[in-house]
Amino acid sequence: MPPGMRSSICGLVLALITVIVVVVNQRDVGVARDEVVYMQHGSRYADWWVGLVTLDHGPSKDSITRSFGGKGPTDGNREHPPLAKTLFGLSEKLFHDELGVASELTAYRLPSALLHGLCVWLVYTMALALWGFAEAVVAGLLLLFLPRALFHAGLACFDAAIMTMWFATVYAYWRCLDGRRWPWQAGVAFGLALATKHTAGLLPFAIALHYAIVGYRSGRWRGLVLHRWRLIVSFVVLSPLVLALVWPWLWFEPVAHVRDWITFHLRHVHYNFEYLGENWNAPPFPWHVALVTTLVTVPVVTLVAAALGTGAWIARRDEVTYPDRAPGLLLALSAAASIGPFFLGSTPIFGAEKHWMPALPSLCIAAAVGVVWAGRVAFGVLAAWRPLADRWRYPLIGALATIVVGAAAVETFTAQPYALSSYNALAGGAPGGADLGMNRQFWGVAARGVLPVLAREAPAAGAPPVSVYTHDAAPAWGVYHRLGLLPKTVRDAGWEQQGIDRSQLAIVIHEKHFNRHDYLIWRSYGSVQPVFVLRVAGVPLVSVYRRSARD
Amino acid sequence: MEASDEATQGTPPGGVAPRRLLALPALLLIGVAIWEIVATRCAASAVADDAAWTEAASVVRAGYRPGDLIVFAPDWIDPVGRLHLGDLIPLEVAARMDADRFGRIWELSIRDARAPETAGLSPVATAQRGGVTIRRFERTPVTVLADLRERLATARVESPGRRPTLELTEVGFAPRRCIQIVPVPGTPARITFPAVPLGSVLVGYVGIADVFTRRDNRAPARLEVQVGGATVAEATAGVDDGWVRFSAPTTPGSADVTIVAHATTPNRLVCFAAEARQ
Repeated sequence: MPPGMRSSICGLVLALITVIVVVVNQRDVGVARDEVVYMQHGSRYADWWVGLVTLDHGPSKDSITRSFGGKGPTDGNREHPPLAKTLFGLSEKLFHDELGVASELTAYRLPSALLHGLCVWLVYTMALALWGFAEAVVAGLLLLFLPRALFHAGLACFDAAIMTMWFATVYAYWRCLDGRRWPWQAGVAFGLALATKHTAGLLPFAIALHYAIVGYRSGRWRGLVLHRWRLIVSFVVLSPLVLALVWPWLWFEPVAHVRDWITFHLRHVHYNFEYLGENWNAPPFPWHVALVTTLVTVPVVTLVAAALGTGAWIARRDEVTYPDRAPGLLLALSAAASIGPFFLGSTPIFGAEKHWMPALPSLCIAAAVGVVWAGRVAFGVLAAWRPLADRWRYPLIGALATIVVGAAAVETFTAQPYALSSYNALAGGAPGGADLGMNRQFWGVAARGVLPVLAREAPAAGAPPVSVYTHDAAPAWGVYHRLGLLPKTVRDAGWEQQGIDRSQLAIVIHEKHFNRHDYLIWRSYGSVQPVFVLRVAGVPLVSVYRRSARD
Repeated sequence: MEASDEATQGTPPGGVAPRRLLALPALLLIGVAIWEIVATRCAASAVADDAAWTEAASVVRAGYRPGDLIVFAPDWIDPVGRLHLGDLIPLEVAARMDADRFGRIWELSIRDARAPETAGLSPVATAQRGGVTIRRFERTPVTVLADLRERLATARVESPGRRPTLELTEVGFAPRRCIQIVPVPGTPARITFPAVPLGSVLVGYVGIADVFTRRDNRAPARLEVQVGGATVAEATAGVDDGWVRFSAPTTPGSADVTIVAHATTPNRLVCFAAEARQ
């Protein structure tokens, strides 16, 4: 087998392993609040596309508005572009409704898992092109073994998807700097990124600056535009076309609809988010949120390796493949464009690390360079100290990589399925994160962990249903019923005090700003005592209350 | 292009010692990786489990007297503490104004944390149960002569807005049993408590209830305390200030106490509590 083919197969195997790990892992992950919205609208979008292809309807303004839009700013979930949602809906139709090979939830989430596998493959492929096989494998594995990224990749949300599309654009752009005649890949990839999540709009800052630097080096002032001018055309022409092609909402009144989309995010409400013991819901936010959050959520060994790799890369920048295309600079600018806005103090910080996930491929490639460089240099030292055959070089590098990747894997699997509450060893794990006052969780995902407790409270046959106050988990309740995780006789009681007052059971998903739910329940139930507290590593995630029989 | 041989990658021209230093990055990675594996697994089991909490709760139950205060530290373990001892924590104790009226305090803590209620106190008894430290503190509590919250029904209210209500609500992310008033912007709300038996000091707290109104409305609230028509204390509570303490010396005897609440914006949920103390 030619070495090139062997390398390609290895990359595909890594991607496949990633998809399997994500799919298996997500089975224990609860349904996120926003995920329910994306699944519902994804199904509507998928229905529309299927109807269009099967000629059930045409692309009329009315049918598009019914499925993709409306008068309100969030009608049809039009504040988010449709690509990922459409894939979720199509996947559910195919793998659950038609083939019956996956549960409803897994089928919705499968596109995220596949895209995460694609991201690992892209990282592997770029690292392979830049440095070599060892770096490529380590980079792919370090991306797989990121606790929070693995968690997000298992949700039918946009965060893993945009990381993939962002990095696909970076990689395609970098490849297209070779001067090819038709660099369509870059424009198409960026169009897909825009159709995935609005944060793709940050990427041009990185690419434009990189292009300017590379162009200037190549042709001085003339090179600023003309160095690879077809790339500019690709971005300017193809990206909007691709975005419009996959988003029927832009097929009429496109300027107004794009303006609405961008305006929604520029004026986005600031959700509550705990950081270093304080609840933040209004700017100015601390400038260091992104820095500290990354330091305590990425495996420590990956961070150390990335620091080593950055140093090694700078020292050996002329040894990298195609140094004229400045790949190190491109990866650095890509990461900076993704994470940079969170240093401003005005960018919403809720969601934390998921909003700068596109920085992670750069980090993992740098980490892989660091691991392999450290291994090679250590081999050189050993060989100089004691005679050592050259055939031991790769086993030694492999051993070092194994222990590094192993540590990242331990962090990653320890964090599941409550990775939003997990912090790395530097923070002291989940308890250390709680001590630091870092955000406990969001989206109500952990409610899944108390479903068995609630299911035990189901009434006997013929008895009236039991109502549960579910607050942040309310949107997911129907999904839990359909998945069979909860009897239909254990139903959602409704919102706020009215819901609590008619409930027999209540849950509180612990976040600092959700303390208020505890107090509403105390007042109604006349007790401060929960009957069960779900914990991860001893840290409370969800409390369950039961109304006293005398009430 | 594969990376070049390590011999070209920074091997110093100097002696053996500098060359050996080049092994440090690999040793660093090995060290960090091993530490991370051990630390991650240790952190996952470092916090006291239910068995430890059950034992710790039995220690408290053996010595508990009605009127004792039970607190937990760090604050994030509070739900677990209430799971095991919540039946000994009445609502009004959980949503207390402060801890000054409690002569006996039980503190259950993990990870060497301390509760703010026991700051400056020395325990009279200490026990350990599987990672939970149980400390009992005893001190002379303050004597409360009057609690304004208990006198709301007889208070005279001068406000064009809603009548004040006694609530159990969230202020500064903590439970507070307090009198809630929503002043009309620019028109102070006056609540007069007639013939309050006063001691040597009037102590109170004020804060803004409800995290969402605090987010959407960033204006502070101001409280003025008048005794016999004279202002004796003022306090301003901003949206991030939590439960703000105020106090004023008073002359023992009976007097009208008036609380004047000011807001500059609508729907400012001003919550306060105050006690006349010996």
